[in-house]
Amino acid sequence: MQIIYSAISISVPLLLAATGGLFCELSGSLNIALEGLLLIGAFTSVVAAHFVGNVFLGVLIGMSCAMLLSYIQAIITFKMKANMFIAGLAANLLASGLCTVLSFKFFNNKGVVVFNDVQKLKVLNFPIPGQTIFTYIALLLLVVSYFVLYKTPFGIHLRCCGKNETALVSLGLKPDFYRVTAYIISGATCALGGALLTLNLGSFVPNISNGKGWMALVIIFLGNKNPWGLLAASLVFGLADSFSNFAQGALNVPADFILAIPYIFTLIAMLVFSIIVKKKKEFK
Amino acid sequence: MSVAIEFCDISKTFLSNNLQACKNVCLKIEQCEILCIAGENGAGKSTLMKMLDGLEAPSEGVIKIRGKSVNIQSPLDANKLKIGMVHQHFMLFDDFTVAQNVTMAIEPIKNKLFYDKKKAEEEVGKVINGYGFSIDSKELVGNLTIGQKQQTEIIKMLYRKVDFLILDEPTAVLTEKEIDALFENLISLKKEGKTIILITHKLKEIKRISDRVAIMKKGELVGVYDTSSLSEFEISSLMFDGGVSLGISRTENAFKAEKPVISFKNVTVQKVNLPRPSLDNVNFDAFPGEILGFAGVGGNGLGFLEGVLSGIIKVSSGKIFHKGKEITSFETKALRKDGLSYVPSDRLGTGSAASLSVAENLIVNSLSEFTQKGILQKDKIEEFTDEMLGNFSVSGTKEVPISSLSGGNIQKIILAREIERVKDYIIFSEPTWGLDISSSQFVYKQIEKLRDKGVAILLISSNLEEVLSLSDRIAIFCKGRIVKMFDNEGKISRHEIGDYMLAQKSDYKEGENE
Amino acid sequence: MNKKQSVFKNIINTGIPFVIMISLGIVIILSFLLSATPFKTLRYFFFGSFQNLYYFGNMLNSAIPLVFGGLGISIAMTSDNFNLGGEGQVYSGAFTTTIVAVALAPLGIFGGIIALLAGTLLAGIIGGLSGYFKMKWSTSELITSFLLSNAIVLIVNYLITGPFLDPETNLLATRKVPEVMRLQKILPPSSLSTGAIYAVIAVFLVYMFMYKTRTGYELRVCGANPRFAVYGGLDVKKNMVLPMFISGAFYGLGGGLAIYGTFFSCMKEFHVGLGWNGLAVALIARFKPKAVIPAAIFFAWIGSGAKIAMQRCDVTLEIASIVQAVVFFLITCEVFQRNYFKKKEELACK
Repeated sequence: MQIIYSAISISVPLLLAATGGLFCELSGSLNIALEGLLLIGAFTSVVAAHFVGNVFLGVLIGMSCAMLLSYIQAIITFKMKANMFIAGLAANLLASGLCTVLSFKFFNNKGVVVFNDVQKLKVLNFPIPGQTIFTYIALLLLVVSYFVLYKTPFGIHLRCCGKNETALVSLGLKPDFYRVTAYIISGATCALGGALLTLNLGSFVPNISNGKGWMALVIIFLGNKNPWGLLAASLVFGLADSFSNFAQGALNVPADFILAIPYIFTLIAMLVFSIIVKKKKEFK
Repeated sequence: MSVAIEFCDISKTFLSNNLQACKNVCLKIEQCEILCIAGENGAGKSTLMKMLDGLEAPSEGVIKIRGKSVNIQSPLDANKLKIGMVHQHFMLFDDFTVAQNVTMAIEPIKNKLFYDKKKAEEEVGKVINGYGFSIDSKELVGNLTIGQKQQTEIIKMLYRKVDFLILDEPTAVLTEKEIDALFENLISLKKEGKTIILITHKLKEIKRISDRVAIMKKGELVGVYDTSSLSEFEISSLMFDGGVSLGISRTENAFKAEKPVISFKNVTVQKVNLPRPSLDNVNFDAFPGEILGFAGVGGNGLGFLEGVLSGIIKVSSGKIFHKGKEITSFETKALRKDGLSYVPSDRLGTGSAASLSVAENLIVNSLSEFTQKGILQKDKIEEFTDEMLGNFSVSGTKEVPISSLSGGNIQKIILAREIERVKDYIIFSEPTWGLDISSSQFVYKQIEKLRDKGVAILLISSNLEEVLSLSDRIAIFCKGRIVKMFDNEGKISRHEIGDYMLAQKSDYKEGENE
Repeated sequence: MNKKQSVFKNIINTGIPFVIMISLGIVIILSFLLSATPFKTLRYFFFGSFQNLYYFGNMLNSAIPLVFGGLGISIAMTSDNFNLGGEGQVYSGAFTTTIVAVALAPLGIFGGIIALLAGTLLAGIIGGLSGYFKMKWSTSELITSFLLSNAIVLIVNYLITGPFLDPETNLLATRKVPEVMRLQKILPPSSLSTGAIYAVIAVFLVYMFMYKTRTGYELRVCGANPRFAVYGGLDVKKNMVLPMFISGAFYGLGGGLAIYGTFFSCMKEFHVGLGWNGLAVALIARFKPKAVIPAAIFFAWIGSGAKIAMQRCDVTLEIASIVQAVVFFLITCEVFQRNYFKKKEELACK
């Protein structure tokens, strides 16, 4: 049973990142910088909390930083017509470079930085044992996203960007606006996901995101680009991760292999997904 | 009649390719009239109207609405000025309802945040009924017919309370019956006080519906005339350099007795997610020295026919033969080896690679002739390219990317490549779409030469004029079936052909081979 | 306009000088922000590599794997294949070369060549695997190559620090490659090896391959317009696996030569950045083989400058990755902006 509770809490950052990424994907442009945004959110939230002395403010500052990075990435991709994969790559590199450089600058330490003065997140045991408040924030955000995407004009227009951009332009709407906003939203949600990771530990670990941003992308596709599917897919990944942690403790598998598991799992999930899509015949 | 819209010395030059689309156009449009803007492709008609709709901005000059200068920066601005445009390619979202499409960008809102679905459907329903249309506002646009989709576009504009309705080539995808319905609607809209501007190059329609016609040629306004004062020939002369009648000379087929080159036997293509087959029990034979024309309204199977013939679409059942050899399951690569020559409808997307040079585009289907032990033979390639450029009258160098050539010249290169290597059959799909008169005539001459040489020609075209003027035999497609196959001897009227195209009539019998 | 002037104009038109200026501007800003001695930092960053033969030769030496990576990526990208697995491919290629070389020590130079081929082949297979997935199941090779690479880096880490650890040193590295297999130094006291000559030869070979051979032509057509390639009757499936294999192989070759020429044993994570820098080099070179060498030297210069500045001053190496990211951002705007205008024109023609 412990594995299940652990799975739920592990799936939270994935769900948060995937929710933001969903907005991007539905608006017709995949954001591959979720990984970098998670990292930036993780780093800046805990560092800001340390300097400001307040966890809540720290998270807000963290969100702002991630939103800024995603805004820059969006402007370069859409206003300057860059290739969105490479721009996303650059954002990821920038994120990891910045974290190391700033960590070195402020704390003279490129490795694990422990913040004893930052309050760790409280563990809440009701209604689901072993969770933090972030679990419920994530669920709330998911429900809000559903309403925004399917019940408001903004969401309807955003989804139309992904379907028929020219039609949107002919109506006088600007697709780029929705895409840039989607990127900023993903920055915000990823920051929350990243903040959860560091605030849980009270320290910043280099590469703490470790592939979670990439798993979020796969979750979006496995979940059929639909909020409830996202929830299910995140739980699946959470279970996989939770089980591998258990394996590390119980079975004697080298640490590097455990770290490699998210990537291998994501790879296999992607392949399985492709095979399924391929098998769905288009013609009898 | 008062002047409602005035174009004052409007010029437009596109910066990316330095094309001057409009030159000093001065046009007055009156209230309560139906005005046709006529001209060939590339004359500047669409660009001029897009400036009225806010999709393009004039480089020079001013637009005045009711005497006041206006600056139209987006379609929303245009709507506010009571101007609306129905585009040639539908701007609709198939996954959404008619109501959602019509109210897109100006949706009714409840509780300050949410889309009010009920109100939208009600209000749109009112507009639909008010103007005498008969579409259900709750229906998904994807389920509508082409004619209904166009009606949705018009309703979209009427919902925005436009007084000036611009329609860009509206009849391109309609059947005769749907055109009749459209024109009835336009006339009743005019009676209600609206101004209709029709962009078209179809002479018969200009004569039929418009009060005045403004003729554009190469970006300039040639003149505005009362339609009743000009004949079709006169209009055509003003549009083109000299009133040219296109076509080829029809001769007796010297190869008639020979066996068919391509045979389709009970070919069916069924997409898993559609209820109806896209191609349904198609049977025909294509003979050498004959032009077999395939006609039909867009969406009725011509595209799938093209896809099957070129090896891109898989057949669900039935067989295809090439001179007795079965080629049913052959993909493009195998068909090429087997002797396929194919001029596709999508010139830039399929028929050429924009960033590669002319020479590199020319050799793709005959690489073995130009390589030795894996190395490209530069001299041979250059020689061949020069020869092709000369034979097909294309001006330009072989080194530049093909995208820098005009549409007509790109088509000539594609023709050169396919005709040069033709074996015993060739497929043409929409061969003169978007081309000017002289390029179209050139294409027809090439087709004529091929026919005289004994090549079997399969001509797929949504341009009925073209099919009628070129083909020896014609097959009419409707809903994926061949509903009529006949010799082109002028015995069947245009209206009857239209009936076949719209399933009013059909020769198709279940399970019968032709 | 004479030829010299038009070449110059072409270079300016690509915006590359603009990109270079901006990225150097970033370096200047970062130095001021992060260093207590910004001018000293900048001096070492910009000019440190030219101070003496040691730094200069080392800078050129670090460009060698970048040339190979850049060539491989150029081949992949001109046929529309994104290989983001460079890091894993360099690392695994280098590792394989090292341990096979050590194992085949008795065979001398012959064994060295086999080992190099083994590393190249393995890295090629890893790259080709992504291409295979794309061919069979249309899985994005961009994502699979990246994921595979991350996993492989971790596995190789484990292998180096575990079963293949060299017991005789304190470093986290494998045993050293036999002396007879190591490359000659051509500019002592720096580490610049004959690998540089191989790099130049490679550029020439790749250029000939892409523009003079049939396969090169087919790859270029597949990249220019995949639908056109199918329509023309080309074997598109083969052209998904081959370029990915080739670019993986080039990365592996670069890694192997780096071991033979510079490192002599496979140290844990010695490869970091080589994969991404190879990609950046290819982007700056706009995938043209002829431009890969200048682009590689530019990047090597940035890395070398950062290293020297780090050694002498108080900044950290990762400045280079920030600059690199900025270069990526700017380059991708430039390179793809022109394609965007081309596409807009195509649509306008319709």
